[in-house]
Amino acid sequence: MMNQISSIRMSENDDEGFSSVTVRCVLFQLDSEVYGINVKKVREVLRVGQIREVPGASRNVIGVINVRGVIVTVVDGRGVYNLPAKKTDDDSRIVIIEIDDDTSVGLMVDRVIEVKDIPESCVDLMAENREGRSAYIQGVAHYQDNVIVLVDTDVMFSNAR
Amino acid sequence: MDEEILQDFLVEATELLDQLNEQLVDLENAPDDVNLLNTIFRGFHTVKGGAGFLGVSPLVEVCHRAENVFDKIRNQDVAYDAEVADVILRAFDQISRIVNELNDGVRDFDEIDHLLLSELDAIVKGGSQEASFEPVLSEASGPVVSLSLPEGVDPDGEISDDEFEALLNQRDELIEGGKLSQTEVKLQLPEGVDPDGEISDDEFEALLNQRDQLAGADVKAVPEARLQLPSGVDPDGEISDDEFEALLNQRDQLLGGESNAKVPDAEPVLKAAKSAVVAKKATPPPSSPANSKAAGESTVRVDTRHLDAIMNLVGELVLVRNRLLTLRSAEASLEDISNAVGNLDHVTTDLQASVMKTRMQPVKKVFGRFPRVVRDLARKLGKDIDLELVGEETDLDKGLVEALADPLVHLVRNSVDHGIEMPSVREEAGKPKTGRIVLAAEQEGDHILLSITDDGKGMDPDLLRRKAVEKGMMDEASANQLDDKQAFMLIMGAGFSTAEQVSDLSGRGVGMDVVKNMITKLNGSIDIDSALGQGTRIRIRVPLTLAILPTLMVSFGRDSYAIPLTSVQEIFDYDANKTNTIDGQTMVRLRKKSLPLFFLTEWLRPGCTDEQRKGDKIVIVSIGNQRVGLVVEQVNGQEEVVIKPLGVMLQNIQGYAGATITGNGNIALILDLPGLIERFK
Repeated sequence: MMNQISSIRMSENDDEGFSSVTVRCVLFQLDSEVYGINVKKVREVLRVGQIREVPGASRNVIGVINVRGVIVTVVDGRGVYNLPAKKTDDDSRIVIIEIDDDTSVGLMVDRVIEVKDIPESCVDLMAENREGRSAYIQGVAHYQDNVIVLVDTDVMFSNAR
Repeated sequence: MDEEILQDFLVEATELLDQLNEQLVDLENAPDDVNLLNTIFRGFHTVKGGAGFLGVSPLVEVCHRAENVFDKIRNQDVAYDAEVADVILRAFDQISRIVNELNDGVRDFDEIDHLLLSELDAIVKGGSQEASFEPVLSEASGPVVSLSLPEGVDPDGEISDDEFEALLNQRDELIEGGKLSQTEVKLQLPEGVDPDGEISDDEFEALLNQRDQLAGADVKAVPEARLQLPSGVDPDGEISDDEFEALLNQRDQLLGGESNAKVPDAEPVLKAAKSAVVAKKATPPPSSPANSKAAGESTVRVDTRHLDAIMNLVGELVLVRNRLLTLRSAEASLEDISNAVGNLDHVTTDLQASVMKTRMQPVKKVFGRFPRVVRDLARKLGKDIDLELVGEETDLDKGLVEALADPLVHLVRNSVDHGIEMPSVREEAGKPKTGRIVLAAEQEGDHILLSITDDGKGMDPDLLRRKAVEKGMMDEASANQLDDKQAFMLIMGAGFSTAEQVSDLSGRGVGMDVVKNMITKLNGSIDIDSALGQGTRIRIRVPLTLAILPTLMVSFGRDSYAIPLTSVQEIFDYDANKTNTIDGQTMVRLRKKSLPLFFLTEWLRPGCTDEQRKGDKIVIVSIGNQRVGLVVEQVNGQEEVVIKPLGVMLQNIQGYAGATITGNGNIALILDLPGLIERFK
């Protein structure tokens, strides 16, 4: 749970003007909210191409894609966070998340915004074992008027290994 | 321990042990085969040499004693009968175990099976009654040193086996307790050999370890050796392999507890030799234990000719690529492009075949273990069984070789346990006393056909039908409808056992369904033939390779699916007039038989309408021993596909064997028919 936050780096010129410990995150949007995933967990971001559906897969699995010869499962980010379904459009992206050296999984998101260093001081860690959605949420960062939900990929794909 | 040398040793030892496993059983059947005997002797000797070099003393101990036994056998002092074979095979198991542990990264071995060692020694001793060691012993001019042996042992008196055993144990305890550490340190010093010190087992083992290094090296520090070494050994000269061997044997005989052996007399021999060894010792710094697990199963030995062929083809591939690149920039004619593509087709096909070849291994790898399995089982059950291996040189995919090992063990054990009758029963039935099992492999097109044939009691289809009814697997009527072959297939069902008594070998009714699942997983099929009183033959067909699967591509809508071609029997147009619905199940009539019909579209894409079924095709597939029809929208033809694992979170879905990327870059799902039927039935 802690490793995402503890895998930190020193940032020299932080946006807020002082040097502090930061987490570099890929920020993306699902519905109206902004989410962040530690950049170390993200292998690449892909445009949505052809997705092959797999009949019989669980509800949140959209299907599989061919990433340079490797079959990668694509999970619907909206489904994971119980958001209303939406058709993919030009902004939609698949964030390829590394689970371990050999396995990765794609997360379908509405839009990828940017890569940002978030000061750790802005992050409120989520208490463990809270009901519902918090299962996949590591913490919430309040940063420059934004509320960023930090995604806990370890927990989200813990059953995928 | 030098890891690189260790890995080389492990590869060599594993190969030798594989051979020995078979040779040892062969020897029991042909005890007079001198060549075989020598080969076995050399096998143990080579393992011992390597182990000595690496300092794996338990391995040296066991090998050395086994070697002694074979020396006796070679001199015809001992016969290689079943009892001796039992001990030798146990020694072999011990050796295999140690090698396996080395393979698993274990680097410290302290316990040796003393019982086994003394049994080996007992064989050597027992067979050498005529041979006298008196010269060696009488040459000893009284106790040279007085050892601080535990009380109760008179250094001048005779020592019995038991006393000696107790002595050894005490010594081991002392060593473990660290009480001897100081003495040991002294002994490790090149010159500072303390003649009053004790020699421990471990120290002596160090002597064995250094044997190979010693050979050819000049040995100067053997002051006491003069006293006990056999005449002809120049203590100042070089020590030869043979001489050293003699020394080892002396020590073994002494340790073996000759009732007239005086222990103190013996010790100086050892010490002298040891001091010599220690003087020459150049111990490499010990590497950290278990720092590398042997690659073992994940490596393959490849003939360099195969690699050359691949290299050559890759060269061709580069040429074709260059050609295509040129054609892209120039205004190429369709014919030029078509030629280049045709070339590409050939090169890739050849390349694929060549790469496949590097994965091929002779089926001998699996078969090699069976002589031993059958021998041990037969001996345990009191049966007389000949095992014949046919077609051992047949090559198949490395993955398959490994995957087939367990199912075959099951089947062979079954043949031994259930198939072959007791010798007395066989005689009564007018059959030769010795049962016969033939394990055969042959290539049949792109398949490997494996068969296990026994001339045992065979199976009674009626009994099987009755059992099936008793166990509630089916009602009597349907049981009676089964033809004999289908009845035999009943034994492949989970929980089906005809054995009245469950033994530790078989009869639990779990084995055969595991076999069936495994074979099905390998896209293979099983076929059983049996004649009551005459024997049983089980045939297994598996594809040559696992990585590439010939499939039939079918599709509906945008989705394409690959059906393993091995299970496809025929394809014809769907015609609603030829179907009936019986008890809610749609059936199709095919040559006076009704086969259940399943609509793939309905299963995978519920909600498709009836009109779409115009022009649909029926693919008849065999699943296990039943045939069913699958209705698909379109049959796209045959394609060889590379199986890729389905992504995460999808591997538990029944009905898919994996996925593959088709010629146009799309993904097709490979259907696992048994799983699919299971899921939707």
